[in-house]
Amino acid sequence: MIRTATAVRRRARLRRASIAAFLAVMGPGIITGFAGNDAGAVTTYTAVGAHYGYSLLWLLLLSTGGLLVVQEMCARMGAVTGKGLSDLIREKYGVRWTIVAMLALLIANGSNVVAEYAGIAASLELVGVQRIVSVPAAGVAIWALVVFFNYRIVERALFVLVLVYVAYPLSAFIVRPDWESVARGLTIPTLPVEQAALIAAVALVGTTITPYMQFYIQASVVDKGINAEQYRYERVDVLLGAILTGVNGFFMVVVAGAVLFPAGIHVETAADAARALGPLAGDQARLLFGVGLFGASLLAATVMPLSTSYAICEAFGWESGISKDFREAPVFMGLFTLLLVIGAVVVLLPGVPLIPLILISQNVNGLLLPIVLVFILRLAADRGVMGDAANGRATTLLGWGVALLASALSLGLVAVTVLGR
Amino acid sequence: MPYLSEIQHRRVIEPNGDEVGKLADVAVVPHGQFPAAQWAILATPNGERVLRWADLAPEIGHFRLRSRLANTPDQQLPAEALRLARDLLDKQIVDTHGAKVVRVNDLQLSEVEGQLRLVGADVGVRGIFRRIGAERVAERFAGIVGRKLPRGIIPWHLVEPLQSSDSRVRLTVPHTKLALLHPADIADIVEEMTADERVAVFEQLDAETAAEALAEVEPEMQVSIVGDLDEERAADILEEMDPDEAADLLQDLPEERREELVELMEKEEAKEVEELLTYPEDSAGGIMTTDVVALAGELTAAQAIDELRVRKPDPELTYYLYVIDKEGRLEGVISLRDLVVAPPETKLTAAMDPHVLKVLAETPKEEVASLIAKYDLLALPVVDAQGTLLGTVTVDDVVELMLPRGWKKRSLRSIAR
Repeated sequence: MIRTATAVRRRARLRRASIAAFLAVMGPGIITGFAGNDAGAVTTYTAVGAHYGYSLLWLLLLSTGGLLVVQEMCARMGAVTGKGLSDLIREKYGVRWTIVAMLALLIANGSNVVAEYAGIAASLELVGVQRIVSVPAAGVAIWALVVFFNYRIVERALFVLVLVYVAYPLSAFIVRPDWESVARGLTIPTLPVEQAALIAAVALVGTTITPYMQFYIQASVVDKGINAEQYRYERVDVLLGAILTGVNGFFMVVVAGAVLFPAGIHVETAADAARALGPLAGDQARLLFGVGLFGASLLAATVMPLSTSYAICEAFGWESGISKDFREAPVFMGLFTLLLVIGAVVVLLPGVPLIPLILISQNVNGLLLPIVLVFILRLAADRGVMGDAANGRATTLLGWGVALLASALSLGLVAVTVLGR
Repeated sequence: MPYLSEIQHRRVIEPNGDEVGKLADVAVVPHGQFPAAQWAILATPNGERVLRWADLAPEIGHFRLRSRLANTPDQQLPAEALRLARDLLDKQIVDTHGAKVVRVNDLQLSEVEGQLRLVGADVGVRGIFRRIGAERVAERFAGIVGRKLPRGIIPWHLVEPLQSSDSRVRLTVPHTKLALLHPADIADIVEEMTADERVAVFEQLDAETAAEALAEVEPEMQVSIVGDLDEERAADILEEMDPDEAADLLQDLPEERREELVELMEKEEAKEVEELLTYPEDSAGGIMTTDVVALAGELTAAQAIDELRVRKPDPELTYYLYVIDKEGRLEGVISLRDLVVAPPETKLTAAMDPHVLKVLAETPKEEVASLIAKYDLLALPVVDAQGTLLGTVTVDDVVELMLPRGWKKRSLRSIAR
């Protein structure tokens, strides 16, 4: 009797230890990095590689550095204040500015939801499912999933699908890119001043540093209850997450740059994008690409509307939580449902090209990014909010550098578009 | 009835009409039902000035100082003073009436017996529109659609400000109103709070209320609360919890912390909890409570009733009374009703039902749940291989397993707010 009890206890302890280790590794930073690899990211990186070869890699490198700086700030704010980003914006800047920030977030995330649906439609079209079937089905499935089932289990399952992306680093070694040109692309900044190139550049920055990821990581840190003392360890997690995003983007651009760019393939459809995996997977390239895109899109299409509704309701003090019904939390449930419906409807508009739609959505993110960045930078530097953990001089400088880069590209794009070049 | 947003930023002029600054904030001491405005904080070109509220006379569209600014003495804000705009506006508060956390969109002030007092917190959408100067527009628009713009004002005496995480404000009468709520409501509220605020609440509630509230909190959050509390305090709260709930919670803590806490608990409670900890979480032993009414078989009905009078067991433990032999082995069960109607001299062994349904401690909890559901039981005794009574699983320990899956309260907040 005693022996069995001890054995049982030991077994239970072992199981708990491994779960604890798993959770410690899968921290907020890494999960955010994973969630950032959505339909928008896959499409943008592939298109950038296909249309501009390795020449925009330097911008990806800068964006990844920027992502690290900004994610670190948000994680630190979460740990120090125990509050979400929209919470802090509201408490520090009042109603008017909160409306500005929340509108920016709503539009950026709304466009992301559209992109995720486009990703779902595009990936299923690869296996011959019409979007008129796949999109409504996905919408209903996501809604039911979140409202009636345990979302977390599904989240884990979708993470596994996203792991298909290891295909890109593998491909990179099979296609043997010209590493010298890659190195040149990484280090020498070049950017043609024309609308198409600026669209690609803004999308690249916007998909690497999405406004959404900043709200997400801060909320995750708060939810995990990471406090100021434990924050030292959290930094490693943030670093890993940013590297994950950057490395993933790097290999996608490189593979597309090595396979699609020389062939002069313009990425118009998911099938075009899938051809980047041809050297690795041959005839199965479409399937492989489709599985990854499907997993990533479905995952993000679930998280994005929820995350948006939580952020907005938090800012305005409206009841939130998916265990509540429409009467208890009307705004929360309404927003969540509305985002799902709008996303689906836009994708179902007759004749909408999916891949360009995804690229546009990432531009919207890129254009709105500076607004969110300014809030983050000012809050993280505020000693009234952050005390001694406020941004130092170096971090401030880096942060404003990122904001400046993002703003310059956005303004450039707007200028070029207005001037009609 | 003015709102803070309507008087904040109004011009302040000297008796001769010269503008000296703007009203930046109003400060009160948060005692009593409706605290009076005691200080005015002026934003002047030379920085902030704190004056007595009585030094200002309200006029249409502005405030007039009763004497020149240079002749008005500066005041010192006491530590317990609350600055309405800085410390309350846009912050979260607890609506103790609706038992939920809401955000302050505006503050309602009112002249009561010649004194301006804080009477309510506007948490409605009307307050948001007022803050952006669009209350009228929104009202008219709502009128067109045939609706009224709802008012969402909570009277101040039903409001409990949350302890601010920046230490500038320390409320002196914190959380007294919270303690009056139902523990399940307290749990809902603390789930909305930041980690610091949560710990502050659990430090101030009495141990019994704290224990009941903690039991209602989501498991993940329980762990973080107990992790952040002072050890002595955490141990006190754990002692007050039902042993099975305490054991569940301890099970999720890191081993070191768990051993520390069990060490600090009273001997008796610690022993029960430690016993429970030896069983895996998802077995009958892991979810049972050791609080059980066991009566010796040789007692007579009258003696047994006397014994119950002395022990005063919790109501939920009296569904079934278990009869045990000298070695503590489960012999039978008797309901309170059967005990009461039995002739006083009858031995329990004669009055009891010897056919008692029981499970082994190692039985998976799903199986326990289905037995309880199948036989419509309120509780099921748990025994070891020798038949010794270890404890009982009550229906509320397994009710979550019997509900459809969507019913269970899920914690999805980490998908970001």
